[in-house]
Amino acid sequence: MKLVKLFSWLPGLLALAAVLATAVPPGPTLGFHMDPFGRTPVLEGGRIKPLDSVARNGLLMILSKQSFSFKGRTIGPDEWMLDVLFRPGVADEQPVFVINDPDVLGLMGLKQTSNRYFSFATLQPHLQEIQAQASAAQALEAVRRSRFQNAVLNLFQRILLYNQLENSVQLADSPGLFMELQTLRDPQAAQRHRNLAEAAHFRILPPLPGQSSDAWQNPGEALDAAGAGLIHPGLALLSAVGAAYAMDNPELFNAKLAEFQGLTANIRPGALRHANSEILFNRVQPFYLGMVIYVLALLVLFGSWLWRRDLLQPAAFSLLAAGALVHTVGLVSRILLQGRPPVTNLYSSAIFVGWAAVILGLILERMYRKGFGTAVAAAAGFGSLIIAHHLAMEGDTMEMMRAVLDSNFWLATHVVTITIGYSGTFLAGIIAIAYTLRKHIAPVLEPSTTRALVDMAYGIICFALLFSFVGTVLGGIWADQSWGRFWGWDPKENGALLIVLWNAIILHCRWGDYVREKGLMAMAIFGNIITSLSWFGVNMLGVGLHSYGFMDQAFWALAIFIATQLALIGLCLMPRLRTSGPSLSR
Amino acid sequence: MIKRLCISLWKVLAGLQVTIVALALLMALVVLCTLAQTELGTLGAVNTYMRSFIVWRQIAGIPFELPLFPGGALVGLVLVVNLTAALINRFEFSTRKLGLWVVHAGLILLVAGEFCTGAFQVDTRMTIEEGQTVNFVESYHQMELAVTDLTDAAHPVAYGIPEPLLRKTAPVQVPGTPLTFTVKRFYPNAELVPRTPQDPPALATMGVGAGVKITEAPPATADNEVNATSALVEPVAGGHSYGTWLVSTILGAPQSFIYEGRTYGLSMQPRRYYLPYSVTLRKFSHDIYPGTDIPKNFSSLVHLSNPARGEERDVLIYMNQPLRYEGRTFYQASYGKSDTLSILQVVANPGWLVPYLSCTLITLGLLVHFGITLFNALKRRQTSREATL
Repeated sequence: MKLVKLFSWLPGLLALAAVLATAVPPGPTLGFHMDPFGRTPVLEGGRIKPLDSVARNGLLMILSKQSFSFKGRTIGPDEWMLDVLFRPGVADEQPVFVINDPDVLGLMGLKQTSNRYFSFATLQPHLQEIQAQASAAQALEAVRRSRFQNAVLNLFQRILLYNQLENSVQLADSPGLFMELQTLRDPQAAQRHRNLAEAAHFRILPPLPGQSSDAWQNPGEALDAAGAGLIHPGLALLSAVGAAYAMDNPELFNAKLAEFQGLTANIRPGALRHANSEILFNRVQPFYLGMVIYVLALLVLFGSWLWRRDLLQPAAFSLLAAGALVHTVGLVSRILLQGRPPVTNLYSSAIFVGWAAVILGLILERMYRKGFGTAVAAAAGFGSLIIAHHLAMEGDTMEMMRAVLDSNFWLATHVVTITIGYSGTFLAGIIAIAYTLRKHIAPVLEPSTTRALVDMAYGIICFALLFSFVGTVLGGIWADQSWGRFWGWDPKENGALLIVLWNAIILHCRWGDYVREKGLMAMAIFGNIITSLSWFGVNMLGVGLHSYGFMDQAFWALAIFIATQLALIGLCLMPRLRTSGPSLSR
Repeated sequence: MIKRLCISLWKVLAGLQVTIVALALLMALVVLCTLAQTELGTLGAVNTYMRSFIVWRQIAGIPFELPLFPGGALVGLVLVVNLTAALINRFEFSTRKLGLWVVHAGLILLVAGEFCTGAFQVDTRMTIEEGQTVNFVESYHQMELAVTDLTDAAHPVAYGIPEPLLRKTAPVQVPGTPLTFTVKRFYPNAELVPRTPQDPPALATMGVGAGVKITEAPPATADNEVNATSALVEPVAGGHSYGTWLVSTILGAPQSFIYEGRTYGLSMQPRRYYLPYSVTLRKFSHDIYPGTDIPKNFSSLVHLSNPARGEERDVLIYMNQPLRYEGRTFYQASYGKSDTLSILQVVANPGWLVPYLSCTLITLGLLVHFGITLFNALKRRQTSREATL
């Protein structure tokens, strides 16, 4: 008995051990210390972050992946960044531009094949044409652009980003920073410095002692100041780092990098500390690993319905708990790194919706111990993290908050409560889906389990109504504080109101006895549609104060989701398909 | 018989079916209103779907508008009546139902508060440049014909004829002056173009309007469009007409006439409400995150001067931190002129506290009710578990 209990906890512990193993820094690549290079703090997008984050986000935006294969080796974000900065000739040959749109490929005379990845060198001859098409698309309102126009504009923006990255430390078409330092007072130097200062995507040179902590510089700005006599000590080190990498000299590279790092540690220790924490977060990728663990939990649980339920159901629970722990650590890390409440944008709302649903599911499982709590929690966690995974392609997920949103109080109250409301409504919907599938698939329908599922769904709907209502109202109060009206019928507000109304309708129908368990469950599944529309759908309208993320690619995903939910509602209302097997009517 | 009918009607009115149907209708309205915003703009959609009793829409092929759907105001009213009736009729007064009582009382208050806001809220704005002192706020939607006595250039005296009076054809006597105005024609929105020789004679006989061709235009609906409200007016003083003048919000050129040695300027401008105090913009700040153009904060440091109350103080108005003063609330709304001009939104809403109150009630009620439900459910589980043991 003891052994069985121990065994059931083993999968969870193994999963946690695997997660911890990813936190170990990788060794050098071909002799180059990539990891310390990734730790270099830079100022980008209004905040201090490790260069590794810039590299990862850059790759995600350009390639939609964090690594790629080139000449038989896997190139990670840090190595890619080094190539982009110091060996632009090599970087231009690497296939980092993902292009899926056949018309965009056609524009460049390329056929659509299984290879969707192209190098900058392939795109280069067509830059003018791409730019012309992109400016034509840019002139249109976002909603009026065709699929091709969106794709070409997107490609152009990625090329622009690539170009900025290439020119962030030294001009891509120059021999290197050392040349700039030798020709500081050349007649053309000032113009080159200005070009470099304007193109740079990030600022890598830390403010010197006595300067404001915001006064990070890119090499272009520093060279400009150097022309006037004030030479930043980081410039020479950076030029040596770049030259050593370009000349393929690992020893010199490692030594000069350590010196540059020492300089940063000396004058801006706080920035380096922050970069060190963030790089750990980047490396572990807690949300990605959490997603994997949730899938495992789900698979083990499905297994438990076929074999050794006494063993596998607790094992699935332990995996769920491990996933929840990793998810929680990731969430808390984000909060600490960003200094913000958990939900600040669409990406983090997905992370948080999943987290709250998982925690609720864990509680339900402890209360009912039927395995369904584990199933719905793992499904919710996996689903929301996969959504977050796709949303992460839009760039830095820890972006700065625009003026009106820069209020930790309201982010912590309104946004968190409304997001818990989303979680609750989704969780009720997922419970209802579990009810539906069980109804048609399970060989035996045990009445006590059915009642437990109905109780769970009902309780969660009450919970969701409370949180979505309070969240909506807090939003109204925030709007009253910042825009001067409590309620403005803004699409996002309307979306939140729809969730409140729908949950209220479900409860009133239940109280009036107009629906029984089947109807309640079907209505709960419809809640998924309402919540997905108010979460993502309103952003697609492109009107109102909340339309912070216009996403047309997501439109089809949403449409498919809604179609599946409608099908499930139909399935829920249908009589049981499975007639074979012993029935439990008494 | 009639008594029985009344009783059954009352029962239906207080019934849950009405609640559910009304809630479902409200959901449909919210969806329609949201979708319509792309086409009608927020205000247009809200007026069509939410603030109306009946939604009238044109359908292709039918020349007149049809009543398509009950409007938000009607559904809201039905919900309030239904709730009130249910409260009187059905809810027994017990601790078990205490939470529900509080929730539904709070809901009635919330809907009533929205009606009150719709009826009494006045949205205005204050546009103010650094160093400038302003003692009035302007309406967003209503215009006025401003008649300004410019005789003493340093101290102009302004009189406003508000838009509702301009829409009537009756002569308007401007209080405090010997002037009477007849509005020949009022255009809620108009297109003004320079007149060419081929055009019919100008409708205005005096001022810049004599060279302008006026075409009536449909009122603007989109959120970022502004009406070019215009009017043809005839000032009469001492029994003498001063001709027909064109005034419009998009005419910048000053127009004036002289009567008995006093110069009167004419213009169409957003309706102004004068305040018994004045506001001076000391400094407008537009902060960004370092190395980006992402706005971090907008703030206006203003000086508030109210001689009647002996108040002279500086106030910092910034995002999420409005100034509430004498029944009006000043919000940082916009800016311009390379960050030297600040636009404050100024809202007067006597019922602004109602939503706070009602929401607190509903939240408490929900907590109490679901708390009691959860407590009972747990107790039931406990007893059933003990029974099975």
